[in-house]
Amino acid sequence: MPPKGKAATKPKATETTTTSNPTTTNTTSQTASQPSEPTTVLERSQQRFEKTRPFEAARRQQGLSRLSKEDQKGWICDQLLHLTNRLPAASRSCLLGPKASKEIWWTVNGTNSIVRGLKHKPEPYTTWGTDRNGHDVGSYTIERFDERFRKRIALTALQVSSRVFRENVEREKRGFVDARSGREIIVTEREIDEEKVRRSKMAALKKDLYGAITGKLAESVEWEDVVPIPHEEPEGALAAITYPAEYAEAMSYLRAVMTTKEYSPRCLRLTEHIIAMNPAHYTVWLYRAANIFALDLSIPDEIEWLNEVALANLKNYQIWHHRHLLVEHYYPTISSDPDALAQFAKQERDFLIAILSEDTKNYHVWSYRSWLVGKLGMWEDEEELKSIEKMIDEDVRNNSAWSHRFVLVFSNPKYATPGKAATEKDEKVPQELVDREVKYAQNKVYLAPQNQSPWNYMRGVLVKGGQPLASVQGFVEEFVNKLGEGEEEEEVKSTHALDLLAEIYAEKKENEKADLCLRRLAEKWDKIRGGYWEWRRKCLTQSETEKAPGEQVEKAEEGIAAA
Amino acid sequence: MTQSFTSLPQELQLTTSAHVKYIQSLDSRKDEYDYWLTEHLRLNGLYWGLTALHLLGHPEALPRAETIDFVLSCQHENGGFGAAPGHDAHMLSTVSAVQILAMVDAFDDLETRGRGKAQVGKYIASLQNRQTGTFAGDEWGEEDTRFLYGAFNALSLLGLLHLVDVDKAVDHIAACANFDGGYGVSPGAESHSGQIFTCVAALTIAGRKELIDVDRLGRWLSERQIAGGGLNGRPEKKEDVCYSWWVLSSLEMIGKTHWIDKEKLTSFILSSQDTDKGGISDRPGDMVDVWHTCFGIAGLSLLDYPGLEPVDEVYCMPKSTIKRVLGR
Repeated sequence: MPPKGKAATKPKATETTTTSNPTTTNTTSQTASQPSEPTTVLERSQQRFEKTRPFEAARRQQGLSRLSKEDQKGWICDQLLHLTNRLPAASRSCLLGPKASKEIWWTVNGTNSIVRGLKHKPEPYTTWGTDRNGHDVGSYTIERFDERFRKRIALTALQVSSRVFRENVEREKRGFVDARSGREIIVTEREIDEEKVRRSKMAALKKDLYGAITGKLAESVEWEDVVPIPHEEPEGALAAITYPAEYAEAMSYLRAVMTTKEYSPRCLRLTEHIIAMNPAHYTVWLYRAANIFALDLSIPDEIEWLNEVALANLKNYQIWHHRHLLVEHYYPTISSDPDALAQFAKQERDFLIAILSEDTKNYHVWSYRSWLVGKLGMWEDEEELKSIEKMIDEDVRNNSAWSHRFVLVFSNPKYATPGKAATEKDEKVPQELVDREVKYAQNKVYLAPQNQSPWNYMRGVLVKGGQPLASVQGFVEEFVNKLGEGEEEEEVKSTHALDLLAEIYAEKKENEKADLCLRRLAEKWDKIRGGYWEWRRKCLTQSETEKAPGEQVEKAEEGIAAA
Repeated sequence: MTQSFTSLPQELQLTTSAHVKYIQSLDSRKDEYDYWLTEHLRLNGLYWGLTALHLLGHPEALPRAETIDFVLSCQHENGGFGAAPGHDAHMLSTVSAVQILAMVDAFDDLETRGRGKAQVGKYIASLQNRQTGTFAGDEWGEEDTRFLYGAFNALSLLGLLHLVDVDKAVDHIAACANFDGGYGVSPGAESHSGQIFTCVAALTIAGRKELIDVDRLGRWLSERQIAGGGLNGRPEKKEDVCYSWWVLSSLEMIGKTHWIDKEKLTSFILSSQDTDKGGISDRPGDMVDVWHTCFGIAGLSLLDYPGLEPVDEVYCMPKSTIKRVLGR
């Protein structure tokens, strides 16, 4: 039990055997003269340490063995003091017997050790830690340190208020009643606004003090109740992935709500947020669709939003699958209303025209368009046909437009026998249609005779209509002149014409003429496909009764090719 | 069939070691923006890289154990694989996973440490629409002939093709045939070289090649070669190295590769290399990526370029792997 005179922090100057300070000190120690004003917090604390723990300071400087006997005793008392002071009062008395305690306190009083001294010697970095730039806070000036301290207090105060808010939110959820007013707890708009302000202040302070970046979602009141699921990456992954912080945060919240299968406006907003950062992530699209359907939101509105995203991400195909899902979902609500159907078809077409003007051959858009024709039954829609014709007018080489025309015209249930193969003749196709389409293709051939699309188209139409290729011989011959009459004389405006001409001759059994066409193609007009033209020539020499494809021909081909 | 590769200029040779280094460097580019934007392709990327390495004769260039670990870490309880750990299971990544494991001979690991072949087969089979025969990519049902081919590819490697209705699927492919002899992504869609590959390869696996109008299709495919020697995907579009695979393997499957000029195509592919840093791009002068590297090398292998391992035209994997797994 320390004697009552413990309060003495003032030195008892008259004692002689012991002095208030250790005697054995280096000249470099601060006790020789008054210490200079500390400039940093570290210095200040170091000085305090020297002052309040002179024996410990001395021991650190010189080592215990070099201190004088009195100083050593003083040091031991100092140690015991600091050890026992940390113990609870009750166990303190057990540590040392009454006699030893008395002696310690007699020595302590004699040496005027300061009871309340700094326990640990202040060290750079470890005592106060580092700031957001990695600098030792101990190196701060006193003013700067005080300022930091004030900020920390401010942050703590905000955190306390925030905690009150969160508790009120929780209480409101559970229908608690306020003890004093007797009314149910309600969190008002104003309180929410205040909390939002508070949160941004907290985020700013945390960033300032510790460099901690609080994600927008983590900071928001709206996402308060959700525990985000961070991305788990196995240690030393072979194909490891790092993410920008905002994307990583958004994904961790997405995982959380997808796990709980939440469908709500905030989830919808979250999907939009993620899509803006990475529109290629297909899961987020699927989850967005689920939200749209679960919340029964307006499909036309969603499509309007989607249009903007599509225009900004032309190569993205998830967008088109999303649209597909939306239309599938929407269709039953308008299928019995012809006006609504027509209007929807028009809206879709208007957008398709707009987006195709940016990327005329976009495969996903065209696939969607072909599908839409079937879904909405647009075969008789004159506007659709006109629109395709316009695209071909603008670019006769747009194979996608040609392909779409074929679908539009020939998959019409009026003319198409179900189950017929694409390259199979179909009796249902009326002659007028065949004539019209052949004429159309021919007109377009004139614009660019070497363009493959209308030639493929014309041939496809003839096959579908079961019309002999020879029926267009006159047209084809317009593009081939003086074949075989010499290098100078020969004129071939289109290799496709020459190809078709060969087929026509073969059809009519005029094999010699067919062979000439093919030979000239291989020799001069389309050398790069020489292997193909030679095969065609070989087919000609097969007898009428033998069907061309088969191992014989293939072996023969390989023989030719190896030569 | 011999090709006179000596007729190619000195500088137009395959720079194998550069490509190997390029592929090896891919998983260390975590700080590149593009890297995380394509995380939904991570497992597929591994398949492309590994295939290229195998064909280049350097299968050991990616560590086998880590490869297996990574692949298995992408697997879900339902047996399917996601594109990266934590990503939902999807057909495409599942197929890549099976192909990778086949190449590194790790089906045993799949049994002991993964969910087992049967579970994978079950997952794939669950994605078939039994009414139409088509396959979806995942539970959300985007349907595409790529998924059909993927399903056939993976299931046949696992020996589980019988789990799905092959005939119905074949009917669906037939419905995707177009007037020009080609195939599209779905019935009525424009003929496209990539889709043609998937349809023809699927029919080959199913043993139903007789449904193909070989002459028309071969003709259409031969027209893909443009003056520069490269192949495009559709009429009047730009040439692209990846079509060296889609078009060429399709021609191989129908026995018509001699319908294009092979030497010109070889030149085109080799001109699209980055001979310093490695990798192949879509056409000369553009940025390289692992996708084009894989298909460029696969194309060269089909063209019998010397020093490359033979590639299987149906599976786009080394013939030696297919021989080991399927015994043919």
